[in-house]
Amino acid sequence: MVIRREKEIKIIYVVTIALFLAFLAVPILRLFGESFLAEEGIGLENYISVLAGKGFGNAFGNSIVISLSSALISTILAFFLAYSIQYTNLASGYKKWIRLLAVLPMLLPTITYGFAIIYSFGKQGLLTKLLGVQLFDIYGFGGLLFGYVIYTLPISFLLILNTMGYIDKKFMIVSRVMGDNGIKTFFQTVFRPLLGTLAASMVQCFFLCFTDYGIPASVGGRYEVIATVLYNEMLGSIPDFQQGAVVAMLMLVPSIVSIALLRYLERYNIRYNKISTVELRKNAARDWFCGIGSAVILIALLSVFLVIFIVPFVQEWPYQTQFTLEHLQAVLQDNSLTMVYRNSIFVAVATAVLGLLITYGAALATARSSIKQKYKAAINSIALITNTIPGMVIGIAYMLIFSGTPLQNTFWLMILCNVVHFFSTPYLMMKNSLEKLNSSWETTASLMGDTWVKTIVRIVTPNMKSTILEVFSYYFVNAMVTVSAVIFIAGARTMVLTTKIKELQYYTKFNEVFVLSLFILGTNLIIKGVLSYMIQRENKKKEKEQ
Amino acid sequence: MKRKQGLALLLTGLMTVSAFAMTGCSGGSTESADGGASTAAEGEQVIIYSNADDEAIEAMKATLDANGYADQYMFQTFGTSELGGKVLAEGTNIEADLITLSTFYIDSAQEQQNMFQDLNFTYQLLDGSEKTYCAPITSQEGAIIVNTEMLAENNLPMPTCLKDLTDPVYKDMISVTDIQSSSTAWLLIQALVSEYGEDGAKEVLSAIYENAGPHIESSGSAPLKKVRAGEVAVGFGLRQQAVADKAEGLPIDYVDPTEGNFSLTESIAVVDKGNATNPLAQEMAQCIIENGRATLQEYYPNALYEGEVTDSVNASAYPKTFAEPLTVELLEAHQALSESCK
Repeated sequence: MVIRREKEIKIIYVVTIALFLAFLAVPILRLFGESFLAEEGIGLENYISVLAGKGFGNAFGNSIVISLSSALISTILAFFLAYSIQYTNLASGYKKWIRLLAVLPMLLPTITYGFAIIYSFGKQGLLTKLLGVQLFDIYGFGGLLFGYVIYTLPISFLLILNTMGYIDKKFMIVSRVMGDNGIKTFFQTVFRPLLGTLAASMVQCFFLCFTDYGIPASVGGRYEVIATVLYNEMLGSIPDFQQGAVVAMLMLVPSIVSIALLRYLERYNIRYNKISTVELRKNAARDWFCGIGSAVILIALLSVFLVIFIVPFVQEWPYQTQFTLEHLQAVLQDNSLTMVYRNSIFVAVATAVLGLLITYGAALATARSSIKQKYKAAINSIALITNTIPGMVIGIAYMLIFSGTPLQNTFWLMILCNVVHFFSTPYLMMKNSLEKLNSSWETTASLMGDTWVKTIVRIVTPNMKSTILEVFSYYFVNAMVTVSAVIFIAGARTMVLTTKIKELQYYTKFNEVFVLSLFILGTNLIIKGVLSYMIQRENKKKEKEQ
Repeated sequence: MKRKQGLALLLTGLMTVSAFAMTGCSGGSTESADGGASTAAEGEQVIIYSNADDEAIEAMKATLDANGYADQYMFQTFGTSELGGKVLAEGTNIEADLITLSTFYIDSAQEQQNMFQDLNFTYQLLDGSEKTYCAPITSQEGAIIVNTEMLAENNLPMPTCLKDLTDPVYKDMISVTDIQSSSTAWLLIQALVSEYGEDGAKEVLSAIYENAGPHIESSGSAPLKKVRAGEVAVGFGLRQQAVADKAEGLPIDYVDPTEGNFSLTESIAVVDKGNATNPLAQEMAQCIIENGRATLQEYYPNALYEGEVTDSVNASAYPKTFAEPLTVELLEAHQALSESCK
């Protein structure tokens, strides 16, 4: 049936597989092996000693409790925000703001959240001073919970908002006609169809909290979680790689369970045949409630970030509060800090470009080739696996395997690490878009005498523009804010903003921490802004053509 | 047939990737310059890993700059345990050419990994503990630090020894550091163990932790900061920092605990990378020791080298050294002791 021999796509396929063999499979297997290396040969010794230790069980339990609590709160809040957008008659401008502000924290590294919480809710914090009381103890459970909620809310929000958009609202009318009361209607026509997504959101948020290192690094206090245990085993005062490897392996367990759950939950996603636009009932009380509720949630979350804009611009927080640009100038004049900024941009752009090529290639192989299904499955499993493996685990595996090689501490290693770590989402974006394009283009073009490469460049790619931009933006922003993996790889010459923030934290140089955070936020806002504008223009053009 | 073909393709692919990785890394070292470095000579810059405080880093930078090494080095700082762990773990694979770190870590690393070169110069210490592979840059002593205003305001007695801090009147009024991350805490624990034995030390330390509550800090300078800010009345920290604060007219005073003022030194060492060793590393180490001590002594006043003196305000009342040699194993034991007191 297929005339083309698809040599090119086979090469792409092989290169992709080889890349993940070298930079995912081998390092993780090495880590796996390391965890069984005991003083006397191979065995379960390390596992026994880790599991028997009091500290580990405690931290593991803490991690589970705090991650579950955060996931639950995030999902409820995100549901409320999404509901306010999809099911109320709030002004569309207002809804746009909710949508924008709810995802803002994604543009900052988690390590910044912790410091923002300290400077907002600590004894000398901005909000503590404004309110006159310290609202909660920031070190430990309270601070972690707050940080994790800020971190996971945007992801949960995007997930729920998306599914909500696909729920057919006509069923609400049906339910009413059948005589259901408001609450019953809500449960039957909004909550029930969303159940799968809500559970998926819980799982996703749980996984993110469980594996994040940035927030506990700053506000963990004496509440030990598994990420800090892992860091201390590998880079603590007396490092123990074997035990660290054990902790890393055990960290994978909840991740694997999460993914299994996610797959299972997919079945519960209800698909409606068509989405009808229905005018929502007028209900001023509901609109006011949701409008004010959303505002309160967002103000509470974002007020934490206020300090980032204030602390670096006053003489000395909290005692001398006159405005000054001194700290900003000091950072701009510090060559080592401006170098770090340039490093970050370089890593982010290179990650985005390389990531784009790899995901595009991989998605072409699975969505637009006649490669056998079982070979395609390999790439799909890679996407699933990269989604499962915490950044810290990849970072540690790289540290073990590339130490002493010329790749140690290089930008290339960090870039490859980012590309592998964040592969899943952009790959699926690419694949979904490619599958929607007309499947006979390549065949037609080859009949007309075009080479495969020419077809991809001249026909497929122009139709993929908006997805390409989205993937670029995804990789760029994530490379700018990630800390968990690169913290183990970055060297003195290859410091990026987030690893530098970790370093400055030790010396409690918060002015610099916040100025660098502002650099990250500003850069991400610009990139996101420009790319979204381009994506919108692209989509409009497409609509017109149709 | 198909399978064979697949295998062949896979192997070619692997080769392509490894080739890519090879060129990637050979490009990596030169391209790191394109990736954002400022000077063309970056490849030859000496990389210095250090756990030192800001003041010591500034003093070393000033010394190097004044002696013609400006722009030829790059400092990268870490927390003490973080850098100590990194050195032990990576050995000569470490990125750094030159390291300044707590001496006991350097000793242990040398013993385990034999990773440092002999220094190209010789030196004489007051206590006669010279080594071939490293030379001390600073010595730091522990002491009790108090905020006199806070003491008066809360009607608290002036402590005279570490055991006094176990008194429940100091509940939530003291701040100490955690030995898991900071070596300053070790100065406290050494004093307790040598005075009261292990069991006695546990008792005292548990009561101190009980009083400190949320003020057990990870960074060595944090207790002083909390004392300064008036968040607590008493802290345990580095003596010379309190001396400096008092001289500046802040309501800060210091108490030499009768259990003893223990001290730790930090040293500089050159990583032995064989032929790849940067020749400037030795020069810079020598420069810092021979020309930098005067500046370093402004912040870390304890005399170390022959010919140096500690001025009288900086001379502590009860200087002591721990009976056993300071090693990473001893630190580990004391960390375990500390954990059992929490």
